[in-house]
Amino acid sequence: MNMGSALRELLRSGPGFGGASLMGLLLVTALYVLLAFPLDFGESQWSNPVIWVDNPKAVPPAWTNPLRQDARPLHRVFEGAEPHTVQTARSGPVHSWRFPFTYASSHPPTFLAVTLADVNYAERPPLVLISLKRPDGKQLRIYRHAVRGPREDENGPFLRYAETPLRVQLSTDEATVTAAQNFLAEEFDLRLDGAQIGGRVDRILFGLPAGSADDAFTPLTGEYEIIIQAALREEGDSVGKVRFVVGGGVFGLMGTDSLGRDLARGLLFGLPVALFIGVIAAFMSTAIGTSLGIASGYLGGRADIAIQRFSDIVANVPVLPLLIFMLFIIGPSLWMIIVILVAFGWPGLTIQVRSMVLHMRTNQLIEAIQSLGASRRRVMFRHILPQITPYVLAQLIFAAPSAILAEAGLSFLGLGDPSIPTWGQILETGFRTGGIYVGYWWWIVPPGLCIVLTALTFMLLALGIEPIVNPRLRQPAS
Amino acid sequence: MSLLRPLLVRSLTMVGVFFVVLLMLVLTLGLTGFSDRILSATIGEQLRAERTALAETIRDPDEMEKVLEKRREELEIFYGLSTPWYYRLPRTALRVLTLDLGEARTLRSFDGSNRVFDIVTERVPNSMLLLTTSLIITATIGIIAGAYLATRQGSWLDRFVSGFAAVSFAVPTWWIGILLILILSIQLRILPSGGMYSTPPPTQPLPRFFDLVAHALLPVITLVLVSFGPSIYSIRTITLNIAQEDHVKIARAKGLPESRVRLRHILRVAAPPIVTGLMFGLAGSLSGSILVETVFNWQGMGRLYYDALAGTPDENVIVALTFIFTLMYVVIRIVLEALYVFLDPRVRYTD
Repeated sequence: MNMGSALRELLRSGPGFGGASLMGLLLVTALYVLLAFPLDFGESQWSNPVIWVDNPKAVPPAWTNPLRQDARPLHRVFEGAEPHTVQTARSGPVHSWRFPFTYASSHPPTFLAVTLADVNYAERPPLVLISLKRPDGKQLRIYRHAVRGPREDENGPFLRYAETPLRVQLSTDEATVTAAQNFLAEEFDLRLDGAQIGGRVDRILFGLPAGSADDAFTPLTGEYEIIIQAALREEGDSVGKVRFVVGGGVFGLMGTDSLGRDLARGLLFGLPVALFIGVIAAFMSTAIGTSLGIASGYLGGRADIAIQRFSDIVANVPVLPLLIFMLFIIGPSLWMIIVILVAFGWPGLTIQVRSMVLHMRTNQLIEAIQSLGASRRRVMFRHILPQITPYVLAQLIFAAPSAILAEAGLSFLGLGDPSIPTWGQILETGFRTGGIYVGYWWWIVPPGLCIVLTALTFMLLALGIEPIVNPRLRQPAS
Repeated sequence: MSLLRPLLVRSLTMVGVFFVVLLMLVLTLGLTGFSDRILSATIGEQLRAERTALAETIRDPDEMEKVLEKRREELEIFYGLSTPWYYRLPRTALRVLTLDLGEARTLRSFDGSNRVFDIVTERVPNSMLLLTTSLIITATIGIIAGAYLATRQGSWLDRFVSGFAAVSFAVPTWWIGILLILILSIQLRILPSGGMYSTPPPTQPLPRFFDLVAHALLPVITLVLVSFGPSIYSIRTITLNIAQEDHVKIARAKGLPESRVRLRHILRVAAPPIVTGLMFGLAGSLSGSILVETVFNWQGMGRLYYDALAGTPDENVIVALTFIFTLMYVVIRIVLEALYVFLDPRVRYTD
């Protein structure tokens, strides 16, 4: 049977079609990830907390909002480089950025944070002021920051916050707490001490005193505006970048974990990794299994006995305990996992290939070729191997899911390669940090589904291919 | 005699498995220098302890160093660090073979012992409980449903089960466990999410037993859920093949009642390959149970692995666990092999 008709037959069968189309989808996605993500994504981004600092921690995906009775606030990030307006005051130019937004949720934001970067000044440091304008017309200054002045032995122009931007978590900042305290006292004649305000700054800024109890606030929805002003001292001074984050109660396509990492990105990156593990491990163990099987079946004699005894033993080793042990001793690395999986993954195929070759050795074609004086190597690789290739191919696809599942299981035990995020590792952090017991399903369910989907794709493909390559299974044409 | 020989060959394979694992443990520990590091760490700790003790009697720092250096040499000989690992570790392996497993660093047994032997052995029954219960349930479901499905070949139920079996191979057991926790214990609050007993555990034997059952329910369901599909499918296929053989047709032609044909002529003949299937399933369930115990905080050997790996790893425990796991596996396999030889008359003549 040639390749074309085999492919047509594969696509005609239910599992074959399903498997092939899913595999196409996975490959396209994996290709996209490889192009769009840096290869060192694990080290440079995933395990780098700085990247995720402005994300809300452990919040569900944004698409869960319509399913809720009271929608959680969306995550909003406002960024500005060039100032929106430039005025000139007596002290010098004032650059300001205005970020208007509608706040519709009945929950307060999960946090407020501001980031300043690349502040440049010639002589005297600028002053940065941040105000919040509320729907009820009231406006309050929530933060005031004087950029650090020149050191004694330093000469201008001065550059501040270039390498490490200044980030202030306003929700917990003392100055903002004081600002909220003063605001309540002046506008609502409500006097609360710092302890009563601490931790509830967002609720106060985005709400109205309920009146019933001193510390109850009802949410205030409507048009808000964040105003950031930089009072500069001279022409040419500048604030390079401002960033204001109104922390959401939901985030992105897949939500975040307890470090604020965007789970959608982690899940995406896990795909090429899983495919790689599955394909490489399956390919190598199939190569070893097939060559040993051919050798064993064709050479016979002592080589046969030795290979059979050896593969009998290796086939019966309980792999997982040994894998755990070796990874623990040698240190977790993806390559080590693959090597060990291969080292113990070949015997099943060897035993099967051997019996096929034994069968084939006695057929007339092989006997004729031998009598023509072909070398043993030539017979094995040119005449036996091609005949069992389709079967081996099906076994190769069959072997991929077990490698993927094994890696996931090891990662789940905390033995995953720390430099490469995988689905198993995402699950592991979700489990180890107790995310499962507080019901963070978006952290637990999707990685598992990804594993199942990928493994299932290989299974379906193998199921579709098997009847084609294994004539015994072919349905009699009726 | 005829029974003994095949049994011996099979058992020897398993003993071979055991020695291969042991060899790999020794090689890994030795070649990576891990064993040396552990020993020097142990010696370092002991020396630090002795230094504080000696400081009371020896004032002169130079003399102190001299005494400690001498002591270090003594200790290195005592622990065998002065000899290369390939002399030392085989002896360690022999020691481990006699179940002298050393002491744990941080982990303790339930009653506070730090001997690895105590820590590991008290967990074995817990693991066995989970493993055997689920294996028996899976096998029972498999045999009953498999034999039934063999009579319904090609029906929608038959096709459904084959599909289900295929899907089962693609699902990580432990993830199913996590899902069940998420649904049944966190959302619906029907079953406990982990552990073996409630806190405080019931003292009366009967409530204590039911408490254990309630806690075992989820892990057992998890293990069964993932393995019963493949089990039904393989038993169905075996039964189907045998049902098409001539001797079954003859039995039917003789007019034997259908139930008798099924029991004596089909299932009896199918028994040996079914046992083989169980044997191969064992390795899978063993690995499955390591992870499932971890998920459900079941105080078995699998959970012990997780605890020994987390935080400051406990080397002795991990070595011992790998060893005991293999030992347990080999022993169960030999028992099953014996059962197989006993069940299948053909083995006695062919092997």
